[in-house]
Amino acid sequence: MSEKISIYRFMSAGCNGCDVQILECLVPRYKLAELGVEVVFTPEEANVLATTGGINVKGREELKKAYEKLKPPKLVVAVGNCAITKEIFDKGYPMVGPPDQIIPVNFYISGCPPRPQAIVTAIAKALGATLEEKEDYWATPEGFRGKHEFDSEKCMGCSACAQVCSSDAIDVLEDNGKRIIKVDYGHCSFCAFCQDECPTEAIKLTQEYHLLTDNRSTTNVTNEVDLFKCSSCGTYFIPVPQVDWALERIGNEVSEYKDFHSDLKTAIEVCLNCRREIRNIRNAKKLLAQLSAKVRAV
Amino acid sequence: MPKIVQIGPYRPQLVEPERFELVVENNKIIDVNIELGYVHRGIEKLFTTKTYMQNLALAERICGICSGVHTLCYAQTAEGVLDATVPNRARYLRCIYTELERLHSHYLWFGVLAHSLHEHEAFLKIMGEREQVQDLLEYLTGNRMNYLINTIGGVRRDITPEKAEKIRKVLNNMKPLPSYILSLLDDNGAFTKKTKGVGILPKEKALAVGAVGPTLRGSGIKSDVRKDDPYAAYGELDFEVVTEEDGDVRAKSLVRARENFESVKIIEQALDNLPSGEIAVKLGKPLEKEEVGRAEAPRGELVYYIKSNGTNIPERVKVRTPSFANDFALIEMLRGDMLQNARVIIESIDPCFACTDRVAVVDTKTSKKRRMILK
Repeated sequence: MSEKISIYRFMSAGCNGCDVQILECLVPRYKLAELGVEVVFTPEEANVLATTGGINVKGREELKKAYEKLKPPKLVVAVGNCAITKEIFDKGYPMVGPPDQIIPVNFYISGCPPRPQAIVTAIAKALGATLEEKEDYWATPEGFRGKHEFDSEKCMGCSACAQVCSSDAIDVLEDNGKRIIKVDYGHCSFCAFCQDECPTEAIKLTQEYHLLTDNRSTTNVTNEVDLFKCSSCGTYFIPVPQVDWALERIGNEVSEYKDFHSDLKTAIEVCLNCRREIRNIRNAKKLLAQLSAKVRAV
Repeated sequence: MPKIVQIGPYRPQLVEPERFELVVENNKIIDVNIELGYVHRGIEKLFTTKTYMQNLALAERICGICSGVHTLCYAQTAEGVLDATVPNRARYLRCIYTELERLHSHYLWFGVLAHSLHEHEAFLKIMGEREQVQDLLEYLTGNRMNYLINTIGGVRRDITPEKAEKIRKVLNNMKPLPSYILSLLDDNGAFTKKTKGVGILPKEKALAVGAVGPTLRGSGIKSDVRKDDPYAAYGELDFEVVTEEDGDVRAKSLVRARENFESVKIIEQALDNLPSGEIAVKLGKPLEKEEVGRAEAPRGELVYYIKSNGTNIPERVKVRTPSFANDFALIEMLRGDMLQNARVIIESIDPCFACTDRVAVVDTKTSKKRRMILK
């Protein structure tokens, strides 16, 4: 793109955080002016529309109007996760959709909010320019909550992360003997509850914050785990690593149960439906009686 | 012949981009209508679809700028429902995080004020220096905004001696900034001319319309939740509630400017007296009860109400944000003032941002609209 970039900010139903980040980009240390970028106050003067926040019923028509007034090349950048997927407000009743359901969107910058550093480098990338990122503040501090990463060795597919997720960003899909944990970081509020609750410390929020994309469907991190077949009926019902984890944990918590390892294994390897069969109830009762007798003896 | 001037709705602004309809005669504002709802997200309904913990993330996204105090106030209210007692260390840590947030929020407001008064140099200086607080918050909490540092029953991250040292260093580095801002507001200051005598909110009016925060304190009324109904560790820390008598935009600015010194004082005291121990407690089951909690956000008193039915999802959550309370004060302030002052008056309650300067003038005779730029 050869001409000067003039950005018009359109803030709709969001928390305003992303909007402040765009304003912070004007601070000289982010070198926005060096790139020849300015922020303007009317859509008529602008050729780039930066939308933040999801769009609600009142904002829909206003967004269309602003888009029509843009000068060519009419680029639209969705800044922040609300503008990509409505994030935590996804199920809010007045929300009519992220901007890309109303007008064409060219780029997505993910984050909640994206750092000004991410916004500026995204603009530089779009312009084909490179920024010198020598200073300290371009790096993220330790403990920064950025894009997710799975440790596929540790992840056992228990889906605890999906349960605690504050913005429904984690999907659990089951298909053909596999369980897929899919984190949509374009939908994530980066609260790190998943990281806190993961029993095996398998999911981590990394330091990576440059999350620019032009394709909405690529904002995912996935991990695949094999499912276990019920020993009785053959349906898939629990991830393989979770069986081992549960057995190991039972042994660790109550050392007396270690002797019953193989009996416990047989009991766990039966799916919920089959456990209701008379034969299996009998077996389970027998096992429980043995276990409590053992504990009492000690 | 009165004419109607519209400001907004799309100006990047705090909780809601609002539409202001000003009825103007001879450049004097005679009446104001405010239309809300441009950032309505159905949050109170969403609160009843998530668990108490998940709602922390939702509460802080009500406002991205004072996100910390939203989680604090929500957590305090939820602690009543969940019957949790916050450890001493966490109470002090909460004060530190909240005051850092107040600093960055006030600096942002001064940056925007400078921007709207066309003091470009001051804008760049204040915003540039402010980045240090933002970097510090990112270092302490893991995010520049929406830090999610408060949790129900405590805080999520501790301040190690190393981190405490860093906080002191940054506060020391920034010592000149509050004085610089104060100098902009003294008798010959760059801000004084355009803010003195503008948008006056008399004491009685401020009380009658229920103004809160710096808007109320700028009219000479000593009211601050931190002092009146101490929460976290504020009852044990020494600080002053700043008030100014004039009630104009300058008085409100002075209140904020002097509060910056108080915030620094609070943080330093809290760091000196930081008790040792746990930073969070384990939670039990929610009780069946109702709770009301309040806290002093940078913009004023914030109120949360939670009704619990004993499940892990609240039955009703109601939020009263300070900017909403101050909207009514805004009407009083705008009425009788000049049109050219409208922008600075709207900003003075700290709805955070300059309007995008888009104003539609409606001629009541022909009802034709034309746009103009407010500068």
